[in-house]
Amino acid sequence: MATNEEALMWVEKYRPKTLETVVNQHDIVESLKAFMRNPKTMPHLMFAGIPGTGKTTTALCIAHELFGMQNWRNFTLELNASDERGIDTVRERVKDFSRYSRGAFGDVPFALIILDECDQMTGPAQTALRRIMETSSRTSRFILICNQSSKIIEPIQSRCAIFRFSRLDRAAMIEHLKDITKKENVNISTEAVERIVDYAEGDLRHAINALQTAAAYTDGAAVDEKIIAQVIGEASPKQVQLMLNKAINGDFMEARRVMYDIIGTYGFTGAEIIRQMQKELFKISYISPEQKAELSNILGEYDYRLTQGANSDLQLSALLAQFTKVGKSLGESS
Amino acid sequence: MKNDLWVEKYRPTTIKDVIGNEEAKTLFIEWLENKRPTKKAVLLYGPPGVGKTTLVNAAANEYKFRIVEMNASDTRSEKAVNRIANPATAFTGLDKFSSEIKGNMLFMDEVDGIAGNEDRGGVNAIMKIIENTRTPIIMAANDSDLEKLRPLKKLCLLIRFQQTRIPLIIMALKKICEQEHIKYEFEALEKIATNSQGDVRSAINDLQGLSEEGKTLTEQDTLAIGLRNKDISMYDTLKGYFATKNIAEAATLLNFSNVEYDDLLITIGDNMPRRHTNPDNLAEAYDYLSQADVFRGRIGTENWHLLKYVYNNLAQAAAVNPESYKPFEFISPPIRIITLFWTKNKRTMLTSICTKIGTQCHISKYEAKMIFVPYLRLMLQQKKKAPPLIEWLKLTPEEVTFLTSLKMF
Repeated sequence: MATNEEALMWVEKYRPKTLETVVNQHDIVESLKAFMRNPKTMPHLMFAGIPGTGKTTTALCIAHELFGMQNWRNFTLELNASDERGIDTVRERVKDFSRYSRGAFGDVPFALIILDECDQMTGPAQTALRRIMETSSRTSRFILICNQSSKIIEPIQSRCAIFRFSRLDRAAMIEHLKDITKKENVNISTEAVERIVDYAEGDLRHAINALQTAAAYTDGAAVDEKIIAQVIGEASPKQVQLMLNKAINGDFMEARRVMYDIIGTYGFTGAEIIRQMQKELFKISYISPEQKAELSNILGEYDYRLTQGANSDLQLSALLAQFTKVGKSLGESS
Repeated sequence: MKNDLWVEKYRPTTIKDVIGNEEAKTLFIEWLENKRPTKKAVLLYGPPGVGKTTLVNAAANEYKFRIVEMNASDTRSEKAVNRIANPATAFTGLDKFSSEIKGNMLFMDEVDGIAGNEDRGGVNAIMKIIENTRTPIIMAANDSDLEKLRPLKKLCLLIRFQQTRIPLIIMALKKICEQEHIKYEFEALEKIATNSQGDVRSAINDLQGLSEEGKTLTEQDTLAIGLRNKDISMYDTLKGYFATKNIAEAATLLNFSNVEYDDLLITIGDNMPRRHTNPDNLAEAYDYLSQADVFRGRIGTENWHLLKYVYNNLAQAAAVNPESYKPFEFISPPIRIITLFWTKNKRTMLTSICTKIGTQCHISKYEAKMIFVPYLRLMLQQKKKAPPLIEWLKLTPEEVTFLTSLKMF
């Protein structure tokens, strides 16, 4: 595994290594530092908040502080709930890990288990996780990371100190991006940086990736707003937009073809496609807010039917048919 | 009116109204009244649509039993059988004393479906239950499946049902026509009854499918049904389904199609845009299909009684604007399967790429797909800056080619 010094994605290269440098989460950092002064007092932790606000970064920083930059990987197990195939896999890996790491070094109080995207776990899986936390608590501490703490069962919540990560503020994001451009010798205007930050909607990783792409485009020349607009355009969900536009403008067959294209290439679930449609719908300029609200309600209905139904593409087809129908009436009324 | 299935609407609720099979009926009632206490369970067998289920329901109604039904479609394993049947048969029930209900009556319809899976312990479970039961146990099975039930036969009183005689069916049809105010030629009813080959249910379904309010049902009308083909293929099902004139006709057709409902649901969904070019009609038809699919989902692994709502919605979808029907070419197999087949390599490659990104950048595959792939594909297009990045992420040349030519989702 590569160490961070070699990291070439800027997201990773400029990921803060110490709690002090975590962007814009001062209160949380202060509380955590208290635990670091006497690690034995550290309880299980839960980090909740929207994507790209520093939850994983903070968890990794804790690992660095507890075990040192050289050794942290030996005492830290990183798992992703949405990637692991089931709670049994999680249980096995946690069990093996805590057994192996226990006797490794004398002065380390416990091993650290970072479990990302916990809110993707089902209820039964969470119950099993609770049990795992209990049985391994002598040897391990958990840091559970999720977007919404409300999706985590009560017994787990009550075993954790919960920290809520707030949306990064604009100024802090701009500052962080500018810091990166200085270190990478990227010549960029303030307006261009602001443009990126606006587009990223509080997700710092999004912003950094856009910045790195823009820098790669210009290859040393100045990065201006035009290039940023180009990058954002290229990286926006064009096919989802195309599918929406086709459906609203009455071309059901083409909309459905695009839908299958997206599903085929990217393997998105029905819910993921609807989530993106929801996001893109509100960016369409040629329909009124009222019409958007109406279409959004349809999305909501089919979002629910998807959770009940058996065939996601049948539901999506039915959804597109509804959009075509509503789109037709919009055309007639305007 | 067309929304109600006549088979359900006119299903007899008393024993005397169940037509035909007088001998079987008598045997069954005697057994139920405990005049033949030799066997704890009874097995009703015979061809479909002759009144086995109807008789059991009517008898329960008259003798005040609560039916605990166990359908083969969901309960095949020993565990499932025990979960439902044990509580139902072990106790006579407190409310026996407090209400009109005499107690439970366990009814296993299509029992061959349970017993047929010997490897899952279903038969043994049933035999055990029969030995220990304190309540009547009734099983029903089709003729042809009797061989599978051999182990059970010893424990049961066997009652055979015959095909219902044609004149009796004609009388039943006449009665329905009168209640529904349908004028008819006698020959038409005769034709429907003969054609049913003694299956009352199919005769009533045919009658409902053929009759229209305010019009006389003629012998000419019945020519359409032909000899009942109980083995309707996917192609014929689709042909009849999309050309259907009303809900009842669609329901009849679906009832006799032997196409598996999941295949049917998907294939109808795939073909619906070819049936309707008018967006309003398409949206309406798809809405019914969507609801059919919702019920299919709710069935899960055990709520099979919801299956009728799947079919109900399918029938309603078929009956959207029937006048607009024009023949068209069907597509099959399902688009989803074809699409997923041809794109499998793409998804495998994307997953592999996202796993690599995830490991290096501490993120899930999903986040890699959503937040990193869109930009990485653009970065890698810049040939000068790409190589170190490729090396760091450990991407293969094929993965790089794939990424750089990948369209945005």
